[in-house]
Amino acid sequence: MQTFTQLSRYLRTPLLGAVFLLLFFTQSRTQTKPIEGIRENTPKVHALMNARIVQASGRVIEKGTVVLRDGTIEAVGAGVQPPADARVWDYEGLTIYPGLIESYSHLGLTKEKKKSSQTSPEGGSQKTKTGAKHWNQYVTPEGDILAKFKPKEDDLKKLRSLGFTAAVIAPNKGVFSGASVLMSLDKGSVNDLLLKRDVAQNIMFKRPGSRRFGGGYPNSQMGVIALIRQTLLDADWYRKAQLAYSLKPNGQKRPEANEALAALEKVVLGKQQVLINIEDDLNFLRAAKIVKKFNLKAIILGSGHEYRQLELVKASGLPVILPVNFPEAPEVESPEDALDVSLQKLSHWEAAPGNPARLLKANVRVALTTAKLKKQEDFYKKIRSAIKSGLSESDALTALTMTPAALLGMQSMLGSVDVGKLAHLVVTDGDLFKEKTKILEVWIDGNRHEIEKRPEVDPRGKWQITMNIPDGEPIKRELELKGEPEKLTGSLTQDSTSIKLTKAKTSFKRLTLTLPGKDLGFEGVIRMSGVVGKGKLSGHGKLPDGRRFSWLADSREPLEPTSEKTKKESTKSERPSFIPVSPPGAFGRLAPPEQPKTILVQGATIWTSGPQGNIENGDMLVTNGKISKVGTGLQAPAGAMVIDAKGKHVTPGLIDAHSHSGLSSINEGSQAVTAEVSVGDVINSYDIALYRELAGGLTAANQLHGSANPIGGKNSVIKLRWGSSPDDLRIKDAIPGIKFALGENVKRSRSSNNKRYPDTRMGVEQIIRDRFEAALDYERKWLKFSALKKKKGIIPPRRDLELDTLLEIIHGKRLVHSHSYRQDEILMLVRVAEDFGFKIGTFQHVLEGYKVAEVLAKHGAGASTFSDWWAYKFEVYDAIPYNGALMHNAGVVVSFNSDSGELARRLNLEAAKAVKYGGVSEEEALKFVTLNPAKQLRIDHRVGSLEVGKDADFVIWSGSPLSTYSICEQTWIEGRKYFDLEEDMKMRERVVNERARIIQKVLAANEKGKSKKKKSEDKPTH
Amino acid sequence: MRQIVNLKSGTLYLISAFILSLFALTVIASDQVPGKPQDHPIALVGCKIHTVSGATIENGTVLFIDGKITGLGTQVDLPEGTERINAKGKHVYPGLITANTRLGLVEINAVRATRDFAELGDVKPNIRAEVSINPDSELLPVARANGITMAHTIPSGGLIAGTSALITLDGWTWEDLTYKAPVGLYIDWPFMGIRKGRFVIKSEKEQLKERDERLAKIRDTFAQARAYMKAKEAEGQKGTPYHGSDLRLDAMIPVLKKEMPILLHARGIKQIQAALDWAIDEDLKIILLSGQDVRFVTSLLKENNIPVIYEGTLTTPSRRWEPYDTPFRTPLNLFEAGVTFCISGSGRTFEAAHERNLPYQAAMAAAYGLPKEEALKAVTLYPAQILGVGDRVGSIEIGKDATLIVTNGDPLEIMTNVEMEFIQGRKIDLSSRHTELYEKYKTKYERIELTNGKVTSK
Repeated sequence: MQTFTQLSRYLRTPLLGAVFLLLFFTQSRTQTKPIEGIRENTPKVHALMNARIVQASGRVIEKGTVVLRDGTIEAVGAGVQPPADARVWDYEGLTIYPGLIESYSHLGLTKEKKKSSQTSPEGGSQKTKTGAKHWNQYVTPEGDILAKFKPKEDDLKKLRSLGFTAAVIAPNKGVFSGASVLMSLDKGSVNDLLLKRDVAQNIMFKRPGSRRFGGGYPNSQMGVIALIRQTLLDADWYRKAQLAYSLKPNGQKRPEANEALAALEKVVLGKQQVLINIEDDLNFLRAAKIVKKFNLKAIILGSGHEYRQLELVKASGLPVILPVNFPEAPEVESPEDALDVSLQKLSHWEAAPGNPARLLKANVRVALTTAKLKKQEDFYKKIRSAIKSGLSESDALTALTMTPAALLGMQSMLGSVDVGKLAHLVVTDGDLFKEKTKILEVWIDGNRHEIEKRPEVDPRGKWQITMNIPDGEPIKRELELKGEPEKLTGSLTQDSTSIKLTKAKTSFKRLTLTLPGKDLGFEGVIRMSGVVGKGKLSGHGKLPDGRRFSWLADSREPLEPTSEKTKKESTKSERPSFIPVSPPGAFGRLAPPEQPKTILVQGATIWTSGPQGNIENGDMLVTNGKISKVGTGLQAPAGAMVIDAKGKHVTPGLIDAHSHSGLSSINEGSQAVTAEVSVGDVINSYDIALYRELAGGLTAANQLHGSANPIGGKNSVIKLRWGSSPDDLRIKDAIPGIKFALGENVKRSRSSNNKRYPDTRMGVEQIIRDRFEAALDYERKWLKFSALKKKKGIIPPRRDLELDTLLEIIHGKRLVHSHSYRQDEILMLVRVAEDFGFKIGTFQHVLEGYKVAEVLAKHGAGASTFSDWWAYKFEVYDAIPYNGALMHNAGVVVSFNSDSGELARRLNLEAAKAVKYGGVSEEEALKFVTLNPAKQLRIDHRVGSLEVGKDADFVIWSGSPLSTYSICEQTWIEGRKYFDLEEDMKMRERVVNERARIIQKVLAANEKGKSKKKKSEDKPTH
Repeated sequence: MRQIVNLKSGTLYLISAFILSLFALTVIASDQVPGKPQDHPIALVGCKIHTVSGATIENGTVLFIDGKITGLGTQVDLPEGTERINAKGKHVYPGLITANTRLGLVEINAVRATRDFAELGDVKPNIRAEVSINPDSELLPVARANGITMAHTIPSGGLIAGTSALITLDGWTWEDLTYKAPVGLYIDWPFMGIRKGRFVIKSEKEQLKERDERLAKIRDTFAQARAYMKAKEAEGQKGTPYHGSDLRLDAMIPVLKKEMPILLHARGIKQIQAALDWAIDEDLKIILLSGQDVRFVTSLLKENNIPVIYEGTLTTPSRRWEPYDTPFRTPLNLFEAGVTFCISGSGRTFEAAHERNLPYQAAMAAAYGLPKEEALKAVTLYPAQILGVGDRVGSIEIGKDATLIVTNGDPLEIMTNVEMEFIQGRKIDLSSRHTELYEKYKTKYERIELTNGKVTSK
């Protein structure tokens, strides 16, 4: 019912006016091109009549008209009359939808041929640079995507055939890959198609290199995150520096020109949105943290796993563009293959189609995309399976129209069939998401694109046919025509006898039929053809003997064309039996463990690792997750949970001072110094190693960066709260640390042609010194700047995350955990630390620590060592199992670590080796894996011993923790039971049952798929 | 002592020089002197004797003469001149046998020049482990010090890697060390699945092609060997020409004749099934080296009487969804199914330096359900039986070798120490590179303490 007056009212609003000006501008572009030859001026006025119009979800006009003029919608409504100058289209029986918007694609981007460009390990590209680019080859936000946009008509057709009329084109190279554009999918030049520039700046949240150490910096997930952080800081600094310099160019050092950083200005000011492309749900959380920290305006291009972190995804408040890349059925046909399919994978197969519905139910803004689909043509199949899993059709439509339009800032131009918007429409012969529905055409910018030829006539239905046989009785039969108009099947029936047509088809307006003449009394084939009219068929035929006859048929029961498509296509949504567990997959928890208010552990041998020593027949009282009493003869307070631990041994939770469990990446090995990266950014709370380690009595771990570089990445200290989010695993008040490494690994002894500095232990010392000096220089710059009274017009120093970290070390706010083997390098680092006035937190491995134990003791560094590893490389040929005892005896705080998810499950037995080799007492030996690592990590105020006031992190063992025959029965963290033999048995059962259930479901689905496929293959033979 | 140590650090510099120039590394020599051949009767008296094969004897005596056990029990007549060793309160066990190792063939895995366990090529059945075992490897005394008296050393690499050798960890030359060789022909069954992931370079198709080629190669090699055997056997017949010799195929004849077992290494279930199907079909004598997936084929193993060298409990489950104790419990599964098995280390090269931890592989199985006696047998008698020397070693019985250890407790407990050790009656030096360095640096700290008092961090 919208009319011109309404339209002009809209035009008065300034916003729309502006948009219209823009539109005018884009349309006028072509007008700048001189015309050769004769002008074309086909009127662009169309009236689409008698259609069902779905203007947007929930707004339906059952029969109405859409008027298009010059590429925009002029009028929509039930009673709208076609303008006098309009070309009229009869859309009786058809449905009009708003054009769909593809929110993310790489359409029309030519694949760059791989140039054999040499990349240096430092990440700078060595191919000759042109322009004022960023030092890192993966930071190219300034790139112009339009320059690379060369769409092929076939690719455009593919998208149009799915109902898309506009698409975002996003660059796909690098970490900051550039700004995306919104293009119309019409035919025409880029000048005509561009709808909007700078839709979003794109960030790829994954390591860009393909090979392990190839591709330069960053080559790890955490390196990517660090690069994103530093680049955003740099962009902010660049803006300020340029501004300051423009105010006061005299006497200041001219800041560098950098087009990449300039291109990010609007992003850091929150004026341009970013799209972050993530690959799994943990990366969603990581990306969300960066968005929050830098206050970015962001959209996430999801992975399909979001439902697994629903709460946190919801809490992020970020809109999500969701792929419908639901996994194919895993291979489970052979029992052996099935073994290798994890429950996590099985569950995802089952739950993935429910992802869109779950997110929408949680009020997350969702747009849907064909991106990340293996086969784009499967889009509707996947959408339908999402619908079966709870997505409503109207939500699906919104997610493809209104939501993306809004996310792209184009809600006034796209997303619905409303007056004033662009003439982007989809025309179908039924409900868009129904299986049998065909998309017949799309209208883009007012131009019609035919997708599927609509038959001009439709003779389907039941007819009364009369064949006027010359010299005979007219033959009267019932004619039934079924199937598709171009390819019909049918029969002639009288009473119970029926003749099947051998051929029936329409072409233009003509119908052709052939049938065996035998049952009608003719030997041979009868051929007929005729015209399809309204309720009437008529034409001529030839009998087998060549005689001509006329025939006529009257409609008795026309086929309702849309009825088939709207009818009950099992719309009942499948209730997936999926129950979320955390983490997803095997041994995930249904809920976090309870924390009983008071717990009394009774009658155990308690190894306190504290001043109380070992207590026979001891009791321990836990209140609100803290240890409140340890002793003998303790009484259970009313309501306390009592654990009878007679004959059992209780120890503090074990602590691993060197772990790589629960991390998505370990080494950023591309540069010699990577103090800006942090493993804390990539905690993988799904790592099953954490659960297995809990089952071995481990409760806390020092997650360390690898040993690929002299100054590695920052650490993270966690408790093994299995089932928690990555952030909730962390011990928030642990002093942060960083990994250093010395010796063979960092000088890349395994490489035959190392080109990275350092190549010797001498160089290792120098590079560490140099970076600390750099940090001090950096600090002086900042102090000088901070002291300025008037900062206006003064270029501020650049924030450097690497040097920030190093300053923290110098100021004693961050502990160095240094991988080391030989005594010379241990002594070297001690001296470097002394020169810069700080203390090394721990030496890790420190297998020759026994040679310089007095140096370690005097310096106060902890020694976190292997109990008995040796001889796996040259620098550990002098390693001895007495190392721990010798250092301990010299007064060094010694721990035994794992550096391995396998060993971390039995650190108690590693402790026993301190008794075996060197005769450390049993109580002291246990401290190597309890109190001592806690001291080394400076978390001994909370954990490490069973003392009043500390966290109730403890383990119940079947016997002495130092006996090889003992097993861990229960592991508690803060008064919550995170591992229990009995619960574990139940979980195993659940794993087995769940696996069996889903595997059956997969098999049933495969069977169904097969029979379906077979049916369609069988069809032609009928 | 200091003299020796100085010499030694000189040696180390030499070594690094050698590494740089990639020369063969032959200068490493442990300082321990091999045991003197037993020249008089020795009796361990008053000890608890864990015979393993029979009942444990409290307060017993074990007598051995010329390297063989000749007396055992509570009442043993000691011949004149017997050295009586009072072992009151001590325990005597048979020496431990590690059944799956590269010991002697590698010194430092990361130093290429010291790696001698994998010859080039896919098919090299003629390769013999024993000939390059370094009797002076520093790794041997380290393993020995914790009761490992014998080692089954297996070459690796390719598909058919060569023949293994059972060695004692004491002697002057490799011939002294070799106890039995060849023991078996090592076959490393190809990986049957498709590797996926970021670091996989080869496509699925390439992988399948490669796998099929490798499988065909094993089959073809055996077919060639049978043809070769036939041709050689026919040589004696009149008119049959002499057939040129082939070291590789010659080495396989004992396998074809079932005089020598194959050591069939297969880890994943698909590998195990394919390998066993093949080997049973070829009618070979089989010893299966495998890990936790072996629990899926216990009945097949039992039916075909195939023994298993279980490659260690101290590993993680192979699949994310599997119970955490799967590798710990697999020996129990084997035991309950009546499969003959022993427990070894992983066989990885890294493990060669850490064979001393073999008893703890067995202990973990015991912690998770395997009867303790079975766990002990799994590192003593069972490996001896599986390797075909069960009548000579592996338990304390009259007539068997006097290869035994004297301990202050259960050797499967970490805190237990081996106090004395005999290999074929020879008394073994229990010192090692480790104890020497320990002593050296104890001296350092004794001196510091003498002059400065104890150093502490406070």
